[in-house]
Amino acid sequence: MRALIAEHVDGSDPRALANSWAVPNVAFSHALGAAGLIGMTWPKEYGGHDRSPLERYVVLEELLAAGAPVGAHWISDRQTGALLLRYGHEEEKRRWVPGMAEGKIYACIGLSEPNAGSDLASVRTTARRDGDDWIIEGQKVWTTNAHHAHVMIALVRSEPGSERNAGLSQFLIPMDAPGVTIRPIIDLTGGHDFNEVFFESVRLPGTALIGVEGDGWRQVTAELSLERSGPERYLSSTALLLQLIDYARTHPSDTLTALVARLAAETWTLRLMSASVANKIARGEDPALEATMVKDLGNTFEQAMPELVQAAVEVDPAGPEPLGLVLGHLLQLSPSFSLRGGTREILKGIIARGLGLR
Amino acid sequence: MNEQQQMLEDLANGLFAELGSAATMESSWSAIAEVSLEGLLLSEDRGGFGGTWEDALTVFRLAGYHALALPVAEAAVAAAIAGKAGKRGTVAAATEGRITGDRFSGTLRGVPWGHEAAYIVAPAPDGGAMIIDAADGQITAGTNIAGEPRDSVAFQDAVVQRSPADPFALMALARVAQIAGALDSALALSVSYVNERKQFGRPLAKFQAVQQALATFACEAAATNCAAMGAAQAMARGHAPFEIAAAKLRANRAVGTGTALAHQVHGAIGFTEEYQLHPLTRRLWAWRSEFGGDSHWSQQLGAPIIEAGAARFWPDLTALTG
Repeated sequence: MRALIAEHVDGSDPRALANSWAVPNVAFSHALGAAGLIGMTWPKEYGGHDRSPLERYVVLEELLAAGAPVGAHWISDRQTGALLLRYGHEEEKRRWVPGMAEGKIYACIGLSEPNAGSDLASVRTTARRDGDDWIIEGQKVWTTNAHHAHVMIALVRSEPGSERNAGLSQFLIPMDAPGVTIRPIIDLTGGHDFNEVFFESVRLPGTALIGVEGDGWRQVTAELSLERSGPERYLSSTALLLQLIDYARTHPSDTLTALVARLAAETWTLRLMSASVANKIARGEDPALEATMVKDLGNTFEQAMPELVQAAVEVDPAGPEPLGLVLGHLLQLSPSFSLRGGTREILKGIIARGLGLR
Repeated sequence: MNEQQQMLEDLANGLFAELGSAATMESSWSAIAEVSLEGLLLSEDRGGFGGTWEDALTVFRLAGYHALALPVAEAAVAAAIAGKAGKRGTVAAATEGRITGDRFSGTLRGVPWGHEAAYIVAPAPDGGAMIIDAADGQITAGTNIAGEPRDSVAFQDAVVQRSPADPFALMALARVAQIAGALDSALALSVSYVNERKQFGRPLAKFQAVQQALATFACEAAATNCAAMGAAQAMARGHAPFEIAAAKLRANRAVGTGTALAHQVHGAIGFTEEYQLHPLTRRLWAWRSEFGGDSHWSQQLGAPIIEAGAARFWPDLTALTG
């Protein structure tokens, strides 16, 4: 596996190694799929490999720590394949899941809308029945990699007049369906991950409904432990720590030694916490509260790292030194770490409820 | 948690809750000795309980949780290194002096409950541990900022026995376990307080600022408990230089955030002598320094990582737990 990574990870731009689970690379996804390293825990019948969740976890860690460009298939591997296998219509499973395992079919998640950000229960995109079909109308926003994805799993209001988290359902929407329009949103680094996605009378077959009609909220929240506790929630800035270690070899000082130690201690602790959640999920438990804590601590850590490094070294964040390049890149990306996948404030609210404060 | 750890947890929880921060050596140590807790880490063939470091974590964590004013961890670590049950030993934090042959001259500092200890285990000036009969020394009483006895004991040509163990690192791990317990305890006290205390017509717990502060605290306490468990498991496998250094650094960081937030949500009542927050927070502040503060453990952890280089960082980290 390390050989496979070495073949595809090009060190010529060290910035590409940071936050690498947001970096799509179709050739690498194909190679990983061919090596049996996507959909590892899914049944062989659907193109998976019947591996244990912990085997998969070890593979994910290796990929992220090496800065491998796993962005294209990340979401389908992490949650969409599993969601379809659990709740999807048989026809849809057979149509999409094997391609996901091959690293050729990619997914995006349609949750946020212009007026439903942290307040997700305010979604207004609708699904209305038309015979056996469903018609989708509305808009999603901040949809990561919609422009690379083949399908979206969207949370929409399927019961007219319903409010808050009742009457919501999940639908599988092919991104090439007539009536789907994708518009890019360029982020502050000049990068294009985000998109707006519009639905104008998008007709879906009855099989596109995922799980139980009206049960969308419960299905979405059940995915969150998977989404929040993975190693991607604390390893986004690891490329910077690695640069710092090599910089400290040639610029020895107690300050840098102390900083490396602090960051290493935190990485070690977060790895234990994240793996502990993975173990519980593997045993069939839903450690939602612990998963939320891992994400909050992990995001806080990977977000703080660029600032701590900037304070400890005299290096130009515009480059050309590799340490500077990675630092400058992560400084600008890092605000997103505590926004994506649930804002810090939402996470802390969940933790507070777990403590009995709400 | 296995059956043995559950049994230890039940035993220690009941006993330590009863003794707590008001315990004294004179009135309370017999209760500890009665259940032979000082033999926790000593092998069975030497008359001990034969426990692992995971068992010890359970007990030491609860000592921290209940702010137990007795040297249970010190006695257990001393007995394990000295290899003997029965009389109470303790572990010195620092050694000043020299060994000539099998004799030590100098001063042991930071000796917890040195008074009436039968023997002291201390870091030897030339590495490893030395075990020395406390009766041969001149004791000067002292305390840490939480009021726990931390004595100095001076020796002249006193006979020592040697052990290859690293008492300083083992006691650092014990302090991590105690910090983990004390943080959980201060968190529980804080949660309970904000649920009861009303201002502006509602419990403090209903204010989002208070909720978010305690959520932050809960994450720090969870991280410390996880680090303590990781280091104890590594030690149970035999060797934990990376893990103990990392765990003490992580625990020390949590002490700052946790104590600040505990006091903040309590307001003035938490700052009083009568309220039972300070036996926890003052111990936490003291323990952050004891058996290695950040500068010590940073050097221990950071220097080998830098020496090994970036390419080894992840392979070495993952090799720790397999």
